[in-house]
Amino acid sequence: MIEVRDLKVRYGARVVADVPELDVGEGECVAIVGESGSGKSTTLLSLLGLTQDAEISGHVRVCGVDVLTASPRRLREIRGARAALVMQSPQAALSPATRLGVLMRRALKLHGVGTAPSAGGTPDEIMDRAVEAVMLDREILRRYPHEISGGQAQRFAIALAIALGAEVILADEPTSALDVTVQAEVVAVLRGLREERGLALLLVSHDLALVSTIADRVLVMKDGAVVESGPAARVLAEPSHPYTRELLEALP
Amino acid sequence: MTMLRAERVTLGYGRRAVVHDVTLDITEGGVGLIGESGSGKTTLARAFLGLLTPMSGNIWYGDQTLKKADLRKFRKDVQPVFQAEALDPRMRIGTSIAEGLPRSARSRVGELLEQVGLDPDLAARRPHQLSGGQRQRVVIARALAVGPRLLILDEPTSALDVTVQARILDLLASLDTERLLITHNLAVVERLCRTSHVLFAGRVVESGPTADLLAAPAHPYTKALRDAVPRLGGAPPEARGRTEAVPAPSGCPYRLRCPLAAPECERPPALRDLGGRQAACHRAEEVLT
Amino acid sequence: MTEAAPAEVRLRRTLPRIPDRFAALGAVLIVLIVLAAIFAPWLAPYPADQLNPVEAVRPPSGAHWFGTDQVGRDVLTRVLYGGRTSLFIAVAVLAASSAVGVTLGVVAGYAGGWVRDVIMRITDVFLAFPALLLSLALAMVLQPSVNTVILALAVTWWPWYARLAAASAASIATRGYVDAARCLGVPAPRIVLRHVLPNSLTPVLVQLSLDAGGVLLISAALSYLGLGAQEPTAEWGLMVQEGQTLFTTNWWVAMFPGLAIMVTAFAFNVLGEGLRNALDHRSGGARRERAEPASAEAAARVVK
Repeated sequence: MIEVRDLKVRYGARVVADVPELDVGEGECVAIVGESGSGKSTTLLSLLGLTQDAEISGHVRVCGVDVLTASPRRLREIRGARAALVMQSPQAALSPATRLGVLMRRALKLHGVGTAPSAGGTPDEIMDRAVEAVMLDREILRRYPHEISGGQAQRFAIALAIALGAEVILADEPTSALDVTVQAEVVAVLRGLREERGLALLLVSHDLALVSTIADRVLVMKDGAVVESGPAARVLAEPSHPYTRELLEALP
Repeated sequence: MTMLRAERVTLGYGRRAVVHDVTLDITEGGVGLIGESGSGKTTLARAFLGLLTPMSGNIWYGDQTLKKADLRKFRKDVQPVFQAEALDPRMRIGTSIAEGLPRSARSRVGELLEQVGLDPDLAARRPHQLSGGQRQRVVIARALAVGPRLLILDEPTSALDVTVQARILDLLASLDTERLLITHNLAVVERLCRTSHVLFAGRVVESGPTADLLAAPAHPYTKALRDAVPRLGGAPPEARGRTEAVPAPSGCPYRLRCPLAAPECERPPALRDLGGRQAACHRAEEVLT
Repeated sequence: MTEAAPAEVRLRRTLPRIPDRFAALGAVLIVLIVLAAIFAPWLAPYPADQLNPVEAVRPPSGAHWFGTDQVGRDVLTRVLYGGRTSLFIAVAVLAASSAVGVTLGVVAGYAGGWVRDVIMRITDVFLAFPALLLSLALAMVLQPSVNTVILALAVTWWPWYARLAAASAASIATRGYVDAARCLGVPAPRIVLRHVLPNSLTPVLVQLSLDAGGVLLISAALSYLGLGAQEPTAEWGLMVQEGQTLFTTNWWVAMFPGLAIMVTAFAFNVLGEGLRNALDHRSGGARRERAEPASAEAAARVVK
């Protein structure tokens, strides 16, 4: 679902992210781990062409679309619909005066979901199913963004992605603003979607312990470079790079 | 005798109480105050700092209530360490640190910076020129300037990268002061606090030695908190209960989220002694086993 | 210590800053206009207020670039001198109203409680005064003059600054560094002066720039209505009023001072907008931009 080769993201002369190889298949979860400034978020954003003023080179395919050469129209087709981005604080991106249900319906309409008779039911049915899939009550669709908690907002963002038919979710620190108990719920939702729907998941996180409970493979980034990558179990149990070791030892 | 003690304090803003009838001693060896956002832990910290007057109950400073105590002495004894954002963005680091020093002692700024592991030359910089970890050290240096006996630490590391966090925790552990640590991070408490209190919806639901609390929680909420922390290579944490359920307005506030909720939970549970620790749960014995 | 400078800062420094061209244009225009007003006596081709009935209402020419008015005064000279009056009114109104407004607002915002309630209610009372009516009343009680305009506008303008400063100060008062200062036993007046006031000023500065154009327009309107500057003082609004009866036949008499008002107001507005954008950007605006594509809809909106 995601295929990256020799990705380099530059701001001016500075390379802020250099990722030689990154693949995420159907139903797989790959995590990019690192500290602030490591380039992990930049990498994620560049996969959807969302880095501003950055110069990107290499080869990036997301859902079969070559992101770096695709027309804005083609990009729009995958971005937001087939490949969804989930950020740390989704509440900021939800229009405050709009009920969540209205917001979701508009998004569906914008992407033409639920209009064709064959496309999986009416918009209402699609919305109900999506909300259920993230363990939220349907009642939430009647609420305004400020009336829901951070954990609910995060799950709503995921529901939105599912309603739009996302095949890939790119999540940037999706739980680091949440309480641990709420984090556990969001992670459970993500894991469920992966197993039941074959959703591909690219997760950016600073939390190695969290990553170890969900990711199949891990990329460790430092100062824009990938210092270590491999199966999560191997990298976290027998780290070969000193920086990975340092990260592991720092866990409280 | 403990230096600072909350006695049946109820705290709030306007008429709305967010902390209800809490009694808590800041004992030796570090005290942890654990809770999720909205649990009232920061409000309680503000009361301990004398920044918020209780709606009822008292904060005792030695043998006097904070209302009657010598505030000058109190301010020297008790200092806060907030998050790294707690620096005036327009002020030079040195000026920020010197704020608590008398004019004659301004030369100690460099010494204080060294004490927290920073280069004294940083005094001339402004906060945005420093990293998060450096800023957090400056916040600590500012608190240390007046020679406090107790530090009230409000999530001092939660915004930092893990490697930086580890070093800040080392620094805090090495300081020769008492501490009250407010956090949602159980692992941090384990390291810095001998005793811990778990706060839910403005009430203490469990208190006791940190090690016991984490090894065998007596309150279902403590257990949920502990189990939700992802462990390296451990099984994925189980998501159970509905975390968005609001605290129950009557009876046990946790009952709408509690997997053990029973009819008896409609009566408010009192904090009960369970041999070396206390928990506010009707079914604490079942949780323990 | 390996806690290096924050990457975000480094990143931002390497990013090419896209200058806000309109704001830069506004700033340049304002500098030029202010310089023109200051150096009017040297720049003006004719002495101020020199009457020359023989040369009355001449169209723009080599001798009189902007033409002459009914009594033969050079319009260019009058526009240059008029800038002094008009800008003086704007500066005086803004200085007075922001000084009063910010002082009261910062105190209200920091103190909170009943102090804030009292100050804000007084503010509300003043906000309810219509600027034009108050000026009319003042002009009737006092003499219509430049000072009357300044007084009338300042009285109706300061409450906006009080509100702005109060909101800003109230938010600053909850910052960790203010609490930290209180815990260090720093006295309240010093906290206000050292922490709250300086950090509350940013939105005020933006508002000042945005308001300058507005004050200019309203003071011109007051003069136009005969409530402000009086003959023979050169003032842009007054000049427009004098020229309006001739407008269909001798457009230049009213047109040039009118243009001066428009250009100056425009310059202040774009500068204010630019300042606001720049400061928003610095205070987390960039983060908000990045956070925007969080939802699928927002992402779609971004690329639209």
